[in-house]
Amino acid sequence: MSEQELRKELKEPAEPLLPIEKKLIGWSLGIGVVLLVLLAVINHFLPIS
Amino acid sequence: MTEAALSPSASVAPRLGEDGLAVIVGVGVLILALVSLYGPDLLGWAVTTSVWTDPAKALGAVSKVYAGLGGAGALAATYVALLVVLSAGVAALGAEVKSFAVAFTVVFVIAYASWFVGSWAYVAAVTPADQAKFGVSWSLRLTNEGGYIVALIVGLVIANAFPRFGDWLKEAIRPELYIKIAIVLLGAFIAVTAAGKLTLASSLLLRGVAAIVEAYLIYWAVVYFIARKWFGFSREWAAPLASGVSICGVAAAIATGGAIRARPQVPVLVSSLVVVFAVVEVLILPFLAQTFLSSQPLVAAAWIGLAVKTDGAAVAAGGITESLVLAKAAAEGIAYQPGWMLAVTTTVKVFIDIFIGVWAFILAYIWTNHINVKPDSEKAKPSEIWARFPKFVLGFVATFVAGLALALGGAGPKLAAAVGEANTFRVIFFILTFFSIGVLTDFRKLWREGLGKLAAVYLVSLFGFVIWVGLIISWLFFAGVKPPLVG
Repeated sequence: MSEQELRKELKEPAEPLLPIEKKLIGWSLGIGVVLLVLLAVINHFLPIS
Repeated sequence: MTEAALSPSASVAPRLGEDGLAVIVGVGVLILALVSLYGPDLLGWAVTTSVWTDPAKALGAVSKVYAGLGGAGALAATYVALLVVLSAGVAALGAEVKSFAVAFTVVFVIAYASWFVGSWAYVAAVTPADQAKFGVSWSLRLTNEGGYIVALIVGLVIANAFPRFGDWLKEAIRPELYIKIAIVLLGAFIAVTAAGKLTLASSLLLRGVAAIVEAYLIYWAVVYFIARKWFGFSREWAAPLASGVSICGVAAAIATGGAIRARPQVPVLVSSLVVVFAVVEVLILPFLAQTFLSSQPLVAAAWIGLAVKTDGAAVAAGGITESLVLAKAAAEGIAYQPGWMLAVTTTVKVFIDIFIGVWAFILAYIWTNHINVKPDSEKAKPSEIWARFPKFVLGFVATFVAGLALALGGAGPKLAAAVGEANTFRVIFFILTFFSIGVLTDFRKLWREGLGKLAAVYLVSLFGFVIWVGLIISWLFFAGVKPPLVG
């Protein structure tokens, strides 16, 4: 890929976020935060000995 | 990383890839080392370097049994052994053996010379007591592992000032292979370290789960959003970029590119950025960790595992961080057992690695069924999970289990000595990794027109988000936990 092609491609108009992408981002973050909170709770009640 | 993951198409895997070779070499070295438990010492001739002021006394064989070899003899024996084994290995990978052998000779000489320079007392001595012992009035206090930094800098100079020479060396510039062998060897070393404090070790292992959640579910989603929404990247660019910044660099970017059926150039360009930024991190983060996190060694170790991308850079940076933090603690009169910090960094990195296949499958499923839906296109198959699984992790697990079983079986000091000999090779593979990463890092790419926007996403995500969230999570799960003290 030449520099000109790369520059042209990266300057093309943005594709809007599809509903499935929004779902992927939302669910990832949601599950991630819940799991981290859960792990933090476990960490609190079962501290490293 | 799995060799399948390193192929954008990932459809035809070679019979023996880098992962398989790493397992064979790593396990082979460990087996030879373990023979000394029951019989002759087969690896005691490996070269080791002490901190020196008189260069003639710097090198020596790792075992007293081979003291007669002298430093030069041990160095020559180590070089010949590595040359023979690795030449046979790359032949099995289908590489040109003669080119490899010539390039490897030069790589070994420069890399080990860098390590030698890094062990000079003016570079390595840490405490005032060390300085007095070696008769030096000042030193850079980099510890003897400062040799890694020297090797990296020499590699960077070659890549950026003598690119033709760097190209000539490329057959032996194999950082992924070298670090995978080192990680396989590290399994036994970590096992012997952990055996003394099993409760602590298992608790630390459980905390590693947080790293998986963070890398795949938090980092990836946020970086993908930033790339798509703020910087206007297409999905084809945003997904490999998100994986490169979030997961484990080069292999993750390439696995994701394959999963979403991106053009091969896309993950390759992303990967070149990953390497450049990983080097910047290796040069900065260990010193930040020493300055600000020396009172929390395991927070520092986990943070390095979460923040530095690519296995080679992360585990190697973990080694430097451990030596810097332990040196600072030693200067304050606290003697932590070595190995625990490196174990945490490696655990975090390996835990993240093993889910690349699963993540690539999830992305492939979403892309082929919801985004790039084509009636005749091939759908994602669960077999991709295994195809992209980093097989060298199996070698790491095998050496860990073997080391743990022997340690719990009462093999004692003889086991520690045997694993110490294998660890000498681990250090050499670390040196080769650092030098190779340097040679692959062409900073001019950052100025290449068009790549600046990609670099901007990487910069914003890495330094604006990834390293700080990594620090918070590391603090949350590891604050207050210290490595055991010596003795």
